[in-house]
Amino acid sequence: MFYTWLILILPLLGFAGLSWFGDRIPKKLVGPVGCATVGGSFFFTLIALIHLLSMEPGERVGNVQTLYHWIQSGNFTLDLAILIDPLSVFMLLVITGVGFLIHVYSIGYMEKDPNIDTFFAYLNLFIFSMSVLVLAADFFFLIVGWAFVGLASYLLIGFWTEKTSAVFAARKAFVMNVIGDVGMVIAAFMIFENFGSITYMDVFAQAPEKFLANDDTMLLITLFLLVGAFAKSAQIPLHTWLPDAMEGPTPVSALIHAATMVTAGVYLVARCHVLYDLAPYTMMLVAAVGVITALFAGSMGMVQYDIKRVIAYSTMSQLGYMFLAVGIGVYSVGMFHLMTHAFFKALLFLGAGSVIHSMNDEQDIRKMGGLKESMPITYYTFLIGTLALCGFPLTAGYFSKEAIIMSSWYAEGSNPVFWALAIAGAGMTGFYAFRVFFYSFFGTCRTAEAHPHESPTIMTYPLLILAFFAIFAGFGAPLAHSFLAPVFGGVVPEHHTNGFLEIIAVGVALSGIIVAAIFYAEGGEAEGKSDGLKELLAPIHDVLFRKYYIDELYDVLIVQPVKKTGEFIWKTGEQKGIDFVVDEVGAQVKEMSRLLSIWQSGKVRIYALNMIAGTVFVLIFVVFL
Amino acid sequence: MLALIIAIPLIAAIALFRIPSENKELVRKIALGSSGLVFLLAFGVFLGFDSANSAMQFVHECSWVSVLNIQFKLGVDGVSVLMVLLTALLACASIFYYLNGKDVSVTFLALMLVLEAGILGVFMALDTVLFYVFWEVMLIPAYFLIGFWGEGDRVYATTKFVIYTLVGSLLMLVAIIGVTIAHYEATHILTFDIQTLVHTEIPKSDQIWMFICFFMAFAIKVPIFPFHSWLPHAYGAAPIPVLVLLTGAMSKTGAYGFIRFCLPLFPDAAEMMGFVIAGMAATGMIYGAWIAIAQKDIKSLVAYSSVSHLGFIVLGIFALNDQGLDGSVLQMFNHGIIAAALFFIVDILEKKLGSRDLSQMRGLKGKMPILYGIFMLITMAALGLPGLNGFVGEFLILAGVWTSSSMSGLAAIYVLMGGLTITFAAIYMLFFFQGAMQEKNEELPTDLTDIDKKQIYMLLPACVLIVFIGLFPKPFVDTISPTTKHILTIEKTVKTSKGHSDEHH
Repeated sequence: MFYTWLILILPLLGFAGLSWFGDRIPKKLVGPVGCATVGGSFFFTLIALIHLLSMEPGERVGNVQTLYHWIQSGNFTLDLAILIDPLSVFMLLVITGVGFLIHVYSIGYMEKDPNIDTFFAYLNLFIFSMSVLVLAADFFFLIVGWAFVGLASYLLIGFWTEKTSAVFAARKAFVMNVIGDVGMVIAAFMIFENFGSITYMDVFAQAPEKFLANDDTMLLITLFLLVGAFAKSAQIPLHTWLPDAMEGPTPVSALIHAATMVTAGVYLVARCHVLYDLAPYTMMLVAAVGVITALFAGSMGMVQYDIKRVIAYSTMSQLGYMFLAVGIGVYSVGMFHLMTHAFFKALLFLGAGSVIHSMNDEQDIRKMGGLKESMPITYYTFLIGTLALCGFPLTAGYFSKEAIIMSSWYAEGSNPVFWALAIAGAGMTGFYAFRVFFYSFFGTCRTAEAHPHESPTIMTYPLLILAFFAIFAGFGAPLAHSFLAPVFGGVVPEHHTNGFLEIIAVGVALSGIIVAAIFYAEGGEAEGKSDGLKELLAPIHDVLFRKYYIDELYDVLIVQPVKKTGEFIWKTGEQKGIDFVVDEVGAQVKEMSRLLSIWQSGKVRIYALNMIAGTVFVLIFVVFL
Repeated sequence: MLALIIAIPLIAAIALFRIPSENKELVRKIALGSSGLVFLLAFGVFLGFDSANSAMQFVHECSWVSVLNIQFKLGVDGVSVLMVLLTALLACASIFYYLNGKDVSVTFLALMLVLEAGILGVFMALDTVLFYVFWEVMLIPAYFLIGFWGEGDRVYATTKFVIYTLVGSLLMLVAIIGVTIAHYEATHILTFDIQTLVHTEIPKSDQIWMFICFFMAFAIKVPIFPFHSWLPHAYGAAPIPVLVLLTGAMSKTGAYGFIRFCLPLFPDAAEMMGFVIAGMAATGMIYGAWIAIAQKDIKSLVAYSSVSHLGFIVLGIFALNDQGLDGSVLQMFNHGIIAAALFFIVDILEKKLGSRDLSQMRGLKGKMPILYGIFMLITMAALGLPGLNGFVGEFLILAGVWTSSSMSGLAAIYVLMGGLTITFAAIYMLFFFQGAMQEKNEELPTDLTDIDKKQIYMLLPACVLIVFIGLFPKPFVDTISPTTKHILTIEKTVKTSKGHSDEHH
């Protein structure tokens, strides 16, 4: 299986080639080159998939491919190696598959950008980094990939470097992710300390024998890993960077901030399920944070007007569902939602990109409307994506989300509270998803000078393909579960059927859609219809619209104090403190030598006198004492 | 070979004083040729170095002051060979950079070469007195270089620098004599040979004061918190080529001293006080990083970031285990490269814009795309991005601290402080990089040009090393680790005759 290295090498070559020669080859060639490398990676991923399927289920796990001996220091040794198993291949399918479609879409979307070569170079870098993250066979290269996707995300959020807001958003994302990285590094130290190795194989083999459930060490390790997972996957309280990350070009939002990178946290928990199984308390936390984020993000999404931000909040919310799933121990259910989410969320983002593109970079849904006629393909695919997001029966989202909600009722680690919150979140999803949909596509266009038009085929084809999967991927659930089973100890999650519960879940989601339809079906807020209600809900609306004031809170509690303290340490501690003391010591020594120098009069007579006086003094001292 | 490495710059310095300064071409050839030759020799030593062997290699030995048995003895082990390579590389780069400037002073070049020789001597000396001599030799050219060619309050800065470091080195001289006397009392052999002295068993009470004397000299030189207050002034005043040697190479002599003297000579004292020193170092790394966040002057931003990184290095040394020590030595090399490259960039920006104020610069990317790419890589290395060299060092250091037995309870706190430092590093480096290069700026001078070929050639080796060490740290770590392992396990047995002690290796 040595060819699997090509999955990594191709996008890396693409990155290197495009950043060195990108400005020397014709602009038209840049996009196809960038796509070709990712397409190649996808091809080899498919081969790896077939290869795995051809093996016995038991042999599919633990295929480590070692390239060379990377470092040796004391008892710390590490190979540069990758791990091919169903989980990593599953992730790769999403990364390279959806990634390839988004690359193709970008050819059209970024056509007019003068720095398109840099853009594709960065996209390739991202695919490479994300592949490193999922292919790593140990915690060290996991962290390397982890930080590299952070870098790629930083570069792409701040791709339009002349836009001040993009520069700040990029910085925020980077710093937040560094906090996560530090958490991961500390977890890696603890793992090394306790297991003497940081490769997955060694650690996961030893863990169940070495530790009892809820051992302090296990709890700490899993919690530190979670810092990284929550930072990357924008879960409370490390979520504030994700909405701002929408400053980047839309394909970036689709690829990194919806389909792949932000799901790394879910992947991490699934990958380390052996450790998490030994830490039920942490699992409880994972599920709780997940379901709370799902609600919290959904509520913020209900009132935003920026089309991309709404979808960003919905991403946070769906990630919450995935964390809920892995938190209650149904790992492959979470992983399957990760995959369907990648399809429909990438579809929604690309659809939004298509809308933004045709509206001359307008992102405010209040200024859109009536796009149904002018952009039919975008309209229908966006509708499919929205339905899948809401979990409308028989779409992909229905199968994956329904399984999570049902598991949250039945699974061992769960309780009815999680279930109720998950249901409430589903209701919100229906509302905000269709609010955006009606705003954008129904009614009449609210910007007079805009001339919306359908996007070129290079952008609509990826939409169609994603739409296909957004509808039909759900039927692959049993296949996916049995494929992933060997990684999760051979467990195929139970399929729970309970007509009553299902009807409640679907009913709540549908009622969300219906409420959205009542208010917004005419495209935008109906005049007068909701005035009374609006006044009633105004305070809540404000809190939601200002994102619970969390950005402001962080600014007051963390950002400003850090800056002020830096200033204070420098001006007071450094200049008036340490530096002053040192100078003062010097000054005092100088002063003292000035006093002593009185004795140096240069007169030999006085020197002689002093010598005699001194000698007498010493003699007296010696003789009499 | 090693004697040649020291002799060449000294001879070249004398030659530069003698020739007429109008002959610019000859000055150029001598300065560049000699520093280039030293680098080639250092590289040759690095290639010829047998990394499996933890003993001193390329040993050059001859009697110097035979009455006191002081020897002119040079040699390199896995730690010093990297430092020699680093010093030679940085000296070569900074002389090259200086020669591309407008006014070239012969005296400046000669002093630079003397400084280089001094630093190289410190890294190679195997005799305590010889070490002390080189230690002081470094100071004289540095004094004049900052005093004559510096900027701002240069006389205050250089006086402070010299007096402060002198206080430390005089204490060290006392301890050097003390160690020899202790050895003499045990064996009745008078020697200043480091390899012999390390096997001396010094009583614990004596260890402590000697350790403190050595420690003061090195702590001031590095410098570690709270002995760093000469640094902002000296770094602020020093001209960039000098600064590159100062931060890249000279600051490493302090850290090197800890490894060469403090650990093997006084193991008990190091064990006892290690966690206190680690506390200072850890405080210093946060302290420097925090102040760096508040800086608007990019030169002092990089200066304080150096305080932070040097604290990191010392922290690793006093973890007193393989990973910590390996990481520190590797990080010494890394920091030398990264800080030097950052200071070069500071100077390039200052020359192009006429200001070092971060609030004055913005949006340089459009006019300087090549610098943008290089600067980005160096920024990422400085903030410790995994996959680049800075991370390998920091990871090993923190792994060492985490598992360190001498710090026990405090280890976790130090690691958390390290984590905070890394987060702060991301903040100040992005302030610097994004602030200078990104956003939109309509007011840039129209004649602003990208860096020229020579400047690219200067920064390119740094970029290559940053990526290379990040991806293939093994050759470097393999060079370092047998030596560090050896230092950590030196047997404390007093050999009765000097001849035997060398067989130990």
